[in-house]
Amino acid sequence: MVEPVSDVPLFVMRVSSHKLSSPLLFSLLRFAGVLVRLLVLVAVMRPLHPAPPRVVLGPPHTVETVHPVVCAHTRLTDEVEEWKIQRTLSLVREMGAGTIVEFFPWPYAESERGTYDWAHFDRIMRHAENQGLDVIARLGMVPGWARPPAEEKITNANYLPDEHFETFAQYVAAFVGRYGDQVDAIIIWNEPNLSGEWGERAVDPEAYTWLLRMSYEAAHAVDPDVVVMGGALAPTTDAEAGSLNMSDIEFLERMYAAEAAGYFDVLAVHTYGHVSAPQDAPDPAVTNFRRIELLREIMHRNGDDDKPVVITEGGWLDDPRSTIGVRPGQRITYTLAAFEMVEGWPWAEHLCIWNFRLPLDLRSRRDAYYALVSSDFYIKPIYYAIQAFAREWENPYQLWTIAEPSAAD
Amino acid sequence: MGVVIAVGLAVAGYALTRPGARFGRQDGTWHRVQVNGDLYVGVIPTYERFAEWTPERPVGLEADIALEIGRRLGVETSLLIYSDDSLYDALYKGETDFVLSGLQVDPARADWVHFSRPYFDAGPILVSRAEAPVMSMRALDGGTVAVELASSGHVAAEQQWQRRLKSLDIRPYMLPEDAMQAVLAGEVDAALVDGVQARLFVADHVELVMGDEAVVAEEYVIALREADFRLVEEVERALDEMHADGTLDEIIDRWL
Repeated sequence: MVEPVSDVPLFVMRVSSHKLSSPLLFSLLRFAGVLVRLLVLVAVMRPLHPAPPRVVLGPPHTVETVHPVVCAHTRLTDEVEEWKIQRTLSLVREMGAGTIVEFFPWPYAESERGTYDWAHFDRIMRHAENQGLDVIARLGMVPGWARPPAEEKITNANYLPDEHFETFAQYVAAFVGRYGDQVDAIIIWNEPNLSGEWGERAVDPEAYTWLLRMSYEAAHAVDPDVVVMGGALAPTTDAEAGSLNMSDIEFLERMYAAEAAGYFDVLAVHTYGHVSAPQDAPDPAVTNFRRIELLREIMHRNGDDDKPVVITEGGWLDDPRSTIGVRPGQRITYTLAAFEMVEGWPWAEHLCIWNFRLPLDLRSRRDAYYALVSSDFYIKPIYYAIQAFAREWENPYQLWTIAEPSAAD
Repeated sequence: MGVVIAVGLAVAGYALTRPGARFGRQDGTWHRVQVNGDLYVGVIPTYERFAEWTPERPVGLEADIALEIGRRLGVETSLLIYSDDSLYDALYKGETDFVLSGLQVDPARADWVHFSRPYFDAGPILVSRAEAPVMSMRALDGGTVAVELASSGHVAAEQQWQRRLKSLDIRPYMLPEDAMQAVLAGEVDAALVDGVQARLFVADHVELVMGDEAVVAEEYVIALREADFRLVEEVERALDEMHADGTLDEIIDRWL
């Protein structure tokens, strides 16, 4: 029995006198001791965690290329680590591509209405400029606050209500106001002839033209010299009854009918070879590389010959499982031939390969195969082939062929 | 005494709240599958011999695996078609019960996706003449290997094996068939080519044999929601059984 001591509170005395003898409390105290030791250990070990790589801009670079037609569509939107942004863009430069297309989603800049956060975009622009790259900025997507509430209507991130066309144009103006001197051009929206890219509803060329017009006027009010690209249509032959998509050919014709001609300076085009060689003739019923010529013909019919075309997405897929792809060696051959073909078209400026690198390869098997460089910076053979073409280096790949059977065989 | 009570309470608490127990989390998907007798499986119908589009339904190795799993669960399987961009979204939203389409384990999704045991390894594999079989890359030391230009086999040979072996002569060909023809012609010791292409070519050329296993793994798995713990158990069990009784090999042989 412990005698009360005058300067110790009564409840402490009780704990001392009764509970300390309890095995349960003893165990708890012992556990607390272990916990304290663990916390000390964590505190000591924490500074040993490797620091993230420091990112230093360094002196400005210039792109060395003999073929400015070479361009790459990067995907730095969701790349959170700055050193990866820098590494990606330095690889683009080293490949000999002087231009990139990059996506700058509206929700990333204005997640709260009226409050812009440009930090991520600034980072990309800073590194692109440091690497000497021209940037074509693709603008699109819709913040949650500009879409109907989920209980009212289920939408996707590309659903732009009519009443927010003006708000999107304000974002375009804000973007141009900030980066007008740094970007080569801006693309208004992506593949508006696909339902998924138009908010999972029936596509609407007239509505898209209206959006293009509002964006064009807003951008030019801020910077009269900014180059606005329209279209960026998905190559599709989709014309089945009930389809929410629309063929790129019909969509462009209806854009012109809606007087879109005055509201874009360059036509952005997506063109993929799929299983065809680049030389295969264009056909409205087929999606092949030269489908772009059908779109050019529409421009011609509408008196838009003076406007250039930029292929802001294009290339071949080399997934060995895919029915819409080719073998990796064929992809190299076709891609290099396509660059030469585009160089021969006086009305075309770039062929931007989809895609250069993704932040996470396993998000999409298809896009991972399209990538020239893997998420973890493994450089694929096609990268070296494009690099050798762009910089006119020796072809890095010597191909073997099967010996022809002799007469004796 | 206190320790005994605490342990007893812990055991009782676990027994009552473990997944599937009276107060534990429930697998609503498995409940629906059992009650309705249906199973929804998402595929991308642009994978040759794995899941190819036809007017009736997607057909191929993966389609057959999905149907066989459904049969073993005693339910009717519906194959739903998705694009690359929307396959995981469909799984996340609950439109499908599981998805399979050349998927590989994705650590970035491991917080909500359960990846099954692999059902097929499509990685590059060695093909050589039956009279002079080459079953592993180590056996190629000092030899010559044909590869498909820019393929994963080409990369593996250059980046991994040329450094590990004393000498390895690598000859890139445009197509996997060309590389395997070079083996037939005796121009090289072996070809390192895509696992699917190898199976198809060797099936038509009895004078050729394949290596024991892929030189670089490219294992395809089924993706399910981690929360559907009962369905996960049942699908894994069905896959194990299909593997053990040879059904999986039968399906693979049917298409490849």
